[in-house]
Amino acid sequence: MSAAEQRVGAGQGTGSVVEQLRERIRQLQAAPRRYLAVLRTGLSAVDALLPTGGLPLGQVVELCGEAASGRTSLALHAVAAAHQEARLCAWVDGPRELYSPSAAALGVDLERLLIVRPQAPEQRVWAAVQLARSGAFACVVLDLTRGVNPDGRACRVALAEARKLADAAARGGGLLLLLTSPESPADGVVRLRTEARDGDGWSVEVVRSRQGGTGARAELPWSALYPALGLEGGGRLLDVAEDSEDGTPDFLRDQSGALRNGLGILGQRPGRDAPMPPMRQGLDAALPAH
Amino acid sequence: MRRAYLHLTRFPVQRRVVESPELAGRPFVLVEAVRGQRRVAFASTSALKAGVRPGMTLTAATALEPGLRHFDYRPEDELRALTALGEALLPLAPGFQLCAPDGLWLDAGAAHLCDGEEGLGTRMLSLCAELGYRAHVVVASEAFTSRAVARHGARRVEVVAPGDSARALAPLPLSALEGREGAAFSALGLTTLGEVAALPMGAVAARGGAAGARVHARCRGEDDTPFVPAALEEVLEERVVLDFPAESFEPLRFALKTLTDRLGARLSGRCRAAVRLTFTLKLDPSGQRQVTLTLARPTARAKLLHELARHRLEELRLENPVAEVSARVDEHSEDGGQQLALGDAPEGDAALEVVLSRLASTLGEASLFAAGLEAVHRPEAAHGTRAFRPPEARRGLSAELLEPGARRAAVSVASRERPSRLLAEPACLDAEVAESGRLLAARMAGRRHRVTALTGPERLGGEWWSETPFQRDYYRVHFEGLGPAWVFRDGRDGRFYLQGLFD
Repeated sequence: MSAAEQRVGAGQGTGSVVEQLRERIRQLQAAPRRYLAVLRTGLSAVDALLPTGGLPLGQVVELCGEAASGRTSLALHAVAAAHQEARLCAWVDGPRELYSPSAAALGVDLERLLIVRPQAPEQRVWAAVQLARSGAFACVVLDLTRGVNPDGRACRVALAEARKLADAAARGGGLLLLLTSPESPADGVVRLRTEARDGDGWSVEVVRSRQGGTGARAELPWSALYPALGLEGGGRLLDVAEDSEDGTPDFLRDQSGALRNGLGILGQRPGRDAPMPPMRQGLDAALPAH
Repeated sequence: MRRAYLHLTRFPVQRRVVESPELAGRPFVLVEAVRGQRRVAFASTSALKAGVRPGMTLTAATALEPGLRHFDYRPEDELRALTALGEALLPLAPGFQLCAPDGLWLDAGAAHLCDGEEGLGTRMLSLCAELGYRAHVVVASEAFTSRAVARHGARRVEVVAPGDSARALAPLPLSALEGREGAAFSALGLTTLGEVAALPMGAVAARGGAAGARVHARCRGEDDTPFVPAALEEVLEERVVLDFPAESFEPLRFALKTLTDRLGARLSGRCRAAVRLTFTLKLDPSGQRQVTLTLARPTARAKLLHELARHRLEELRLENPVAEVSARVDEHSEDGGQQLALGDAPEGDAALEVVLSRLASTLGEASLFAAGLEAVHRPEAAHGTRAFRPPEARRGLSAELLEPGARRAAVSVASRERPSRLLAEPACLDAEVAESGRLLAARMAGRRHRVTALTGPERLGGEWWSETPFQRDYYRVHFEGLGPAWVFRDGRDGRFYLQGLFD
């Protein structure tokens, strides 16, 4: 009797284990793909600022800053981190200014980066929502800034659109990075503010975060983002001309044409920097002399 | 030679139901014109139950079943569908021979790869069931034996061992002969093929001649009909002519499903995956529209292809109704399949394709791309656009061993000194320049930014052979209150320009 009970008990035990495993597999399949809980930027000082140890997946993170404060390259670092895991990323390039050679130098795999350039500004948010909701991209960057171009216009995100973005990021399970400028911030759950300080460094500050850590700030040298920028200590000018007092090359001081007898700025034959004068003029001048 | 015969009972009727699922369980017939009269060629099961028989005139059939629907029987369409089915079965059999209108022979020489001939039959039936067809499979050594047993036998999968054909054929009725020879034997009072086989061979040859001797040999299980495999078409193209010009998308949807199902089956039969497809819509009475579908990840899955085609064609505005749809695979590649890991969604990359297709149809094909590098010195021309075709993510041992360091070779040293944002057209800088020619400050968006650090120059020039040569001295400048920027002094007019920002 007791042996039979034991057998039944054992049978139930294995059954429940199998059931548990089945339930676990079901959960794994039902959950959006998230092997990475966070996306590390690769800059340890920035990762240490965030309470999760990196940019949290499934959320909207906003990188807010002035035009040249390191937002874009920080986002590119996050994209490169996702590419190291062989995941896909998308970049909704509103101002049409992303420069891919620089992205490639930062470690971005250009084959795995989808660039979307909508014609109309109002399509940017829609495209980002579609991309983030699909779950096919580990990181979607939405560039809402007005860019370098002074007459470009920043794109403001309405409250309903911000909700849609947050919902899409949660459903797709990927990171949605918003690049914004201080005059038109968006409604990200986490907001990092980047600031260019001087030729030596820049800073990141957590301005808004639900999981705490607000107000944390880190200062980093520019070489963390651009190893070959070379602006530390006021920069370094290449000494082209030896007789110039201030180190400015002499071709900057004078209009090259006058000084160099009508030749190019390096003294080379015309045509290297300007179109050749038409042949006809020379002929006309030469003919009456003979 | 061992061959399998796949018999699809009333194949044209099954095909109709697969293509228009609303016909399932309804009485309908396929009609052909015979000497000026419209006669029933094939009838659905419910029409047969109502008493409709093949060969009846359409008038008589409609009198029996007032709700009868009828469609034209087009033998060439049936042949195309049958060919597509044969191609879909190519992973199981190296070749197939059509036997219109409702069956095909397949080479069973590779049966040992599918757990023997029984297993081959079962797998063929399950593949047919995936495509929506019900069938019978018989594997035998002779063409006649396999066909007759498949058409008149009771079991869905049957294997007739070599030398056992006469016994398998014996219980079949005389109608299995399918010709006038059968009539001669039934006049003698015979009812089964076994009785025919039992007649003395000499007497049959004497009375029936060569034809009689052939029939007698077949009934004894001897048949030397050769197996002639069908030649595969080079171009993968499918076409559906709509029954009436479609004004809405709904009828088109069913046609698209037929097209993509067939294309998907044919592609997977050849182990290929579609990279680019062209859909052509012929309009009624004139005009046509072509829509190209480019896939980021090549696929042969019919469901995904259908979904993408639906996305692309749904929003199309056409001036005339659509009379005919065709789809052609312009480019295909090896189908590597997709390795899924635990936790992956079973549909794999379908989500990626669907979202790309949706974006492409709304924003335009040109708005989506992947960037590529060009070996050009002019900074704004150093990058180009490519089609977005991401490489497959590898998993497992191959990923761990092969992946690291396999890429990232082509990045040049100079691109480390490039800004992340670049203006396609350099903007003229409102600059304050010292007497020495040095840049002191610049005015941007109404604010003055002082220069606090400066590195350079980096001289870039070239294209003197073209209409637009350039000669520039580039400086990396830190503007106070803005950040580092990439500025150049143009050698042609001596002015400073803003090219990009180190953002």
